[in-house]
Amino acid sequence: MGRVIGKPTPLIDAVQKVTGKAMYTDDFKFPNMVYVGLHRSPHAHAKIMSIDTSVAAAHPGIKAVITGKDIPIAFGVLPISPDETAMAVDKVRYVGEIVAAVAGETPEAARAGADLIRVSYKPIKNFITPDESLVECSEDEKIHQHTKNSKNIHKIADLSFNDPKDGIASSSFTRSVDFKFAGVTHAFTEPHSTIAVWNGDESLLVITATQVPHYLHRTLSKVLDIPLHKIQVKKPALGGGFGGKSDPFPHEMIASKLAILTNRPVKCTLTREEVFLTNHGRHPTEMTMSVGCDVAGKITALDTDIVIDGGAYGSFGVVTSYYNGVLLQGPYKIDRFGFITRRVYTNKPQSGAMRGHGAVNPRYAVEVVLDMLAHDVGMDPCDFRQQNFLSENTKTVGELRITSNGIRECLETVRRKSGWDDRYGKLPNGHGLGVACGFFISGSALPIIWNRYPQTVVHAKLDFDGRIVMFSGASDIGQGSDTMLVQIAAEELGISMSRVQVEVADTKLTPVDLGSYSSRVTFMVGNAAKQAVDKIRHQIAASVGNEKSVPREAIQFADERVFTDDGKLNLTWDEAVDIAMAGRGAFVESGFYISPKLGGKFKGSGAGLSPAYSFGAFIAEVKVDPMTGQVSVIKVWSAHDCGKALNPLSVEGQIEGSIHMGLGQVVSEDMRYHNGRLLNANFWDYRIPMTLDTPEMDVTIIESNDGEGPYGAKEAGEGPIHPVLPAIGNAIYDAVGIRMTELPITPDKVLTELRKGGQQ
Amino acid sequence: MSTSSYFLPGTIDEAVSLAKAHPNDHVFYAGGTDIQLHVKQRLIKPNTIIDLTAIESLKSVSIQKKNMKLGTMVTLDQIVKNPDIQKFYPILAEAAKSIATPVIRKSATLGGNLKVSNRCSFYNQSFDWRQSVGSCLKDTGDICQVTGGLNHCYSRNVSDLVPALIALNARIMVQTSTGINEMPLIDLYVPDGLIVHTPLGVGGIITEIFTSDEPSKWWFKKLRLRKSLDFTSLTVAATVNKKDVLRVCVNGVSMAPVLVETGINDVTLEGLILQVKRACKTVDNDYMPLKYRREMISAFITDCWNTFH
Ligand SMILES: Cc1cc2nc3c(=O)[nH]c(=O)nc-3n(C[C@H](O)[C@H](O)[C@H](O)COP(=O)(O)OP(=O)(O)OC[C@H]3O[C@@H](n4cnc5c(N)ncnc54)[C@H](O)[C@@H]3O)c2cc1C
Ligand code: SF4
Repeated sequence: MGRVIGKPTPLIDAVQKVTGKAMYTDDFKFPNMVYVGLHRSPHAHAKIMSIDTSVAAAHPGIKAVITGKDIPIAFGVLPISPDETAMAVDKVRYVGEIVAAVAGETPEAARAGADLIRVSYKPIKNFITPDESLVECSEDEKIHQHTKNSKNIHKIADLSFNDPKDGIASSSFTRSVDFKFAGVTHAFTEPHSTIAVWNGDESLLVITATQVPHYLHRTLSKVLDIPLHKIQVKKPALGGGFGGKSDPFPHEMIASKLAILTNRPVKCTLTREEVFLTNHGRHPTEMTMSVGCDVAGKITALDTDIVIDGGAYGSFGVVTSYYNGVLLQGPYKIDRFGFITRRVYTNKPQSGAMRGHGAVNPRYAVEVVLDMLAHDVGMDPCDFRQQNFLSENTKTVGELRITSNGIRECLETVRRKSGWDDRYGKLPNGHGLGVACGFFISGSALPIIWNRYPQTVVHAKLDFDGRIVMFSGASDIGQGSDTMLVQIAAEELGISMSRVQVEVADTKLTPVDLGSYSSRVTFMVGNAAKQAVDKIRHQIAASVGNEKSVPREAIQFADERVFTDDGKLNLTWDEAVDIAMAGRGAFVESGFYISPKLGGKFKGSGAGLSPAYSFGAFIAEVKVDPMTGQVSVIKVWSAHDCGKALNPLSVEGQIEGSIHMGLGQVVSEDMRYHNGRLLNANFWDYRIPMTLDTPEMDVTIIESNDGEGPYGAKEAGEGPIHPVLPAIGNAIYDAVGIRMTELPITPDKVLTELRKGGQQ
Repeated sequence: MSTSSYFLPGTIDEAVSLAKAHPNDHVFYAGGTDIQLHVKQRLIKPNTIIDLTAIESLKSVSIQKKNMKLGTMVTLDQIVKNPDIQKFYPILAEAAKSIATPVIRKSATLGGNLKVSNRCSFYNQSFDWRQSVGSCLKDTGDICQVTGGLNHCYSRNVSDLVPALIALNARIMVQTSTGINEMPLIDLYVPDGLIVHTPLGVGGIITEIFTSDEPSKWWFKKLRLRKSLDFTSLTVAATVNKKDVLRVCVNGVSMAPVLVETGINDVTLEGLILQVKRACKTVDNDYMPLKYRREMISAFITDCWNTFH
């Protein structure tokens, strides 16, 4: 299928980016621009007694100084947990929280001004670890007063079907294992950056590095009390997000407020250290994963008890709490199923959504436990998994609707390509293979803010010049959604990609899209885009059919021509456009996407619902040095079912990126704290794998052609990270016989386990 | 970098007299890969920069079979790629290759590596971070954040070339305003995290490093989490020469490199490990855990021993 769809296609902005021409937020300059300096808390938890801004305000070049009281309205990306303010109001909740801000004529003046702000604090008891937050404390010690318990628990999410505890107790084989995961962060390339401009007509323009222009639009309106129609949020070229730019952020509100106060354009670009302190990365997690199976290796029940460390604020935490549990319902069929997640507040930078949202840590745990059970039963871990897979067109116990499902083919592929059957369990000591699977949503079926609007609308415009412009609120954050829009228009209209341009992520020009999160864009925006350009095609066919007296159904669009197969009609694209323009000129067509109504009727039934799910199976090969305990990942075979690869080049890129990112979390990355102070807030000490640490990758794309996805597409941006981590963990077991239950798997931990002599 | 003056001398003499003229506030700038980090984190604020990059006489490389002489402005990249070094002193090429990344090695110099600053995970932090913990002895504070002590700093010497060069029994030439001195490289290091290097004298520049101790056996290994970029958590370099003298030099686990020099047949493995461990003052100021680093000292020396025997 497809002239454009399904062909490896370089991203339309790739050359601009690699030649340095692409304009990122910080590249924009405005006349008379001033700069933001942020004053941050040195305390993890303290009451603000007083703030003296007088010296800062008098410093040369300082144009304005603001504190928390100037922007007191609370916000949060989820309307159910607005627990954050742009700057701390009465107290600070983590080291690095913003307490005050200045606007200065130069970045240096702004920095100096921020340093001159004097704050007096009265320290409050710190809650750094989840254990500390799970203990009763007095009301005035609590991190947030709104929590409805005398501890620092933010959210308890739980679901249970068919008494899983009893299911486990009565299983022939059971394993119940404790796991611990350090916090990791997105480590995107481009630091957070925002420019705010207060226009003469009292409207606000915000150019910003965001994955969610729409949520920022709404939040700015609420927090700054400006009507929605007076706010324009624009996302220019963006250097990576991975979930780290999917909240509305304090610096975006601060820059906007300062723009209003100074009546000058304001720029705020965070340093790398500030980016680390802003965090919103993966929650540090502790969990007990219990799974049972029968003598034939059929999974009987799963139950898990999870504590996630949310840091100081809510962010996406309520969703994360559910995702930790509900996304364990696949890719295996499990009829007796339950989980409880407690999200606690601690005095650390907040956790949030990160690639693979909520499901990465429990995926590690469950895949390791399944591996153990396979060995208990005496089955090959691939065979064990094969016989437990969900089928296609089915429902999970929690009523997640599964449509297309390529998991079997995924596993068969990596099994064959890696030589698993000849090599697993047979490699020399210190050398091993491991397998794991995963699945993930292709967009959340429910919007964050409940309303009856579509989840996305796309406009396609045709004008006399023969150009198609696609208007979409979708945020290309490097994943290639702009290219996808162009591909779809070119495919549907039979024109070259160079005729199609995009106008995207601008809340004044583009119709609402909810944002680039939950792997929703290809599925939802792709469907809407296809609908919009299909309507353009119908319009052209109608005009041309009318004028040339050919039945419009017979009209074809290909190779920049509009024709009928019998040769009676044979127009160039421009000739056809000319006819379509007659009597009306340029026109716009609209497409939209609303997810079908899905899910059960119980409380919590909305979590994890998606119109389609991706699936994947990975095998990793590792070597473990018995002297140092160091793990080297040599090769990863991956097979991912993305439904249909609209652009195989970018699907491969997503899978490779996921392997690299998963590798980091499993062997080296770790947000490390010293009394609540982040110890490694830089790219040296926060250890992302280097080229030499990165394994050879073998990528296979499996296409299950989903019935509802555009051209059959599902997702590929997040799903491929899940199997990476446990495949490596399980390979370490094959290599040296130890089960690693604490991430990252640093050499000291491996050595400690090796000393213990390994376990079964 | 905000400095008040910048100089680009063309000769060693000129550089020395500039240094003499700015006795307390100058810094010699070689590749800058260490200096820049310290400036950025507001750990140093040099007023006078004396850039050594235009001094051609510091860039000479001479290797004649057993005799190696290297100017201190030779880059690590040159050391990695020099065929004679690879052939006669492979331990040095290996050590250089273990440092930083290929790009950084194009700027980083031998001289800078000999005088690379000691590190500590509580000191090599941003200004705000250090302020928030109350700073430490090596900075503007009055206690050590690692030990709580009031007198001693245990920041680590992290050079990877230094242990290899000490294992090669290297010596250095130092030019000062009063003349030229020669000394064993090991004498450049002071096991005190606050002092770190022996003062070189007025205007002192290290001009050259040399050795004639071609080893018959060598061993080098660096402990780190990633295969590049990371500073060492433990580096062990060892040689045995034609006279059966074993030189084991350990770095990254103490304030200065630790050398054990002995006849290969005059020591047992256990004795060797004990000597090294006694000399190392290892504290919990690295990203790798203390216990593990201590264990690895034994593991590395054992592996080295087994290779030599
Ligand atoms: C990302 C990164 C990773 C690194 N990894 C490592 C590593 O793994 N191992 C390691 O050993 N180092 C490492 N370094 C530190 C540094 O790059 C090297 O030690 C390098 O060799 C320093 O050389 P330079 O020329 O850049 O020194 P500079 O920064 O120019 O100088 C360092 C010090 O030496 C002094 N100096 C320089 N030349 C002379 C001279 N001729 N006489 C007297 N004093 C002199 C300077 O005044 C200064 O005090 C790393 C640095 C970075 C940025
Ligand atoms: S060892 Fe102690 S005194 Fe020395 S740098 Fe570290 S914290 Fe500071």
